[in-house]
Amino acid sequence: MGAMVSVAPVARPVAADSLLDVLYELGVSHVINVPDTHQRTLLAALSRQSRIKLLTACTEDEAIAINAGLWIGGQRPVLSIQQVGLLAALNNVKALAMDARIPTCMLVGYFGRDVTRTARDNAGNGVKLIEPTLDAWQIAYFPIEGPEDLPKLAEGYRHSLEHSGPAVVLIGAPTS
Amino acid sequence: MRRNDAIAALVAERGEAITVTTEQAIGAWRAAVPEPANAIPDHLDIVGCMGSASTIALGIALAQPKRKVIIVDGDGSLLMQLGSLVTIAGAAPANLYHFVFENGVYETSGSQPLPGEGRFDLTQMARAAGYAHAVQVSDAGEFSAALPQLLQRAGPVFVSVRTEPEDGYLVRSSAGTKMDQQMHALRKRLVGA
Repeated sequence: MGAMVSVAPVARPVAADSLLDVLYELGVSHVINVPDTHQRTLLAALSRQSRIKLLTACTEDEAIAINAGLWIGGQRPVLSIQQVGLLAALNNVKALAMDARIPTCMLVGYFGRDVTRTARDNAGNGVKLIEPTLDAWQIAYFPIEGPEDLPKLAEGYRHSLEHSGPAVVLIGAPTS
Repeated sequence: MRRNDAIAALVAERGEAITVTTEQAIGAWRAAVPEPANAIPDHLDIVGCMGSASTIALGIALAQPKRKVIIVDGDGSLLMQLGSLVTIAGAAPANLYHFVFENGVYETSGSQPLPGEGRFDLTQMARAAGYAHAVQVSDAGEFSAALPQLLQRAGPVFVSVRTEPEDGYLVRSSAGTKMDQQMHALRKRLVGA
């Protein structure tokens, strides 16, 4: 019987409270979510406070559309969704974030990711194809693979505003 | 009733509301208002995002709670994102008025029938989803008469407007729509940035 081998994770958890603090600093007004397994502690933290409004949508298409309406009305929303939901909603990313130039910052969790491997080296198509898909669509992305990457949340948000378009903040491991 | 009659009634009652149209309602709205296309104040024409007009309107309604928001939707469009009924009802914007023109067909693509046409009831669905008020109207005179009161109710209000399919109307009424410019102009009007 062989010895157990422990493999160091490539992606490590970021504390939900740390993410929440960054959202506060950015002046985010709303988080529109379709519940994401990886971000469940962030969603729980959001649900315990009232400074940022937490809205739940039935689909990611809806979330992107609500984001557009809120931005038109002068608010500062972001999305919290899962990567397969992003794939499901690519038409609205195209129509609203890209064609209509609406700032659309999406925090995207990697459902089903093996955190001991890079996303591109994961076996599942739902994980390994995300970054190549974003590359093909020329959508900027900002991977958060551990606490040291926390500043990428602000970078992604500011990118969406400055470029009037989409930005994806990839949450590499479940938030703690 | 004819779509143009219903649109004319809505235009007459819109007041200071922010208005949102999609698909075939776009051309009818443009024909009914005095302003030039793409320059209608506080108005958006939504194209290319497959049933998202009502949730864009929801976002605006939440961001601008002191303004009424009127969305003129279609049955085919709503069916593309039917869950939006639940999302809208859950957010419960008191200032959102959701008019769904039901003609039973996908008119934009050539008037193909909707799946299950005649067997489902969007008004009942909206009511069951939790809209504050949901009603169906199929007569133009009744619609005109009911509109002022409907627009005074606390929303979200759902109104199914039963219209006749308009045979042969295959021209894309949204041709030339500048949705991106409208969205950025509306934001500027609303918040000055």
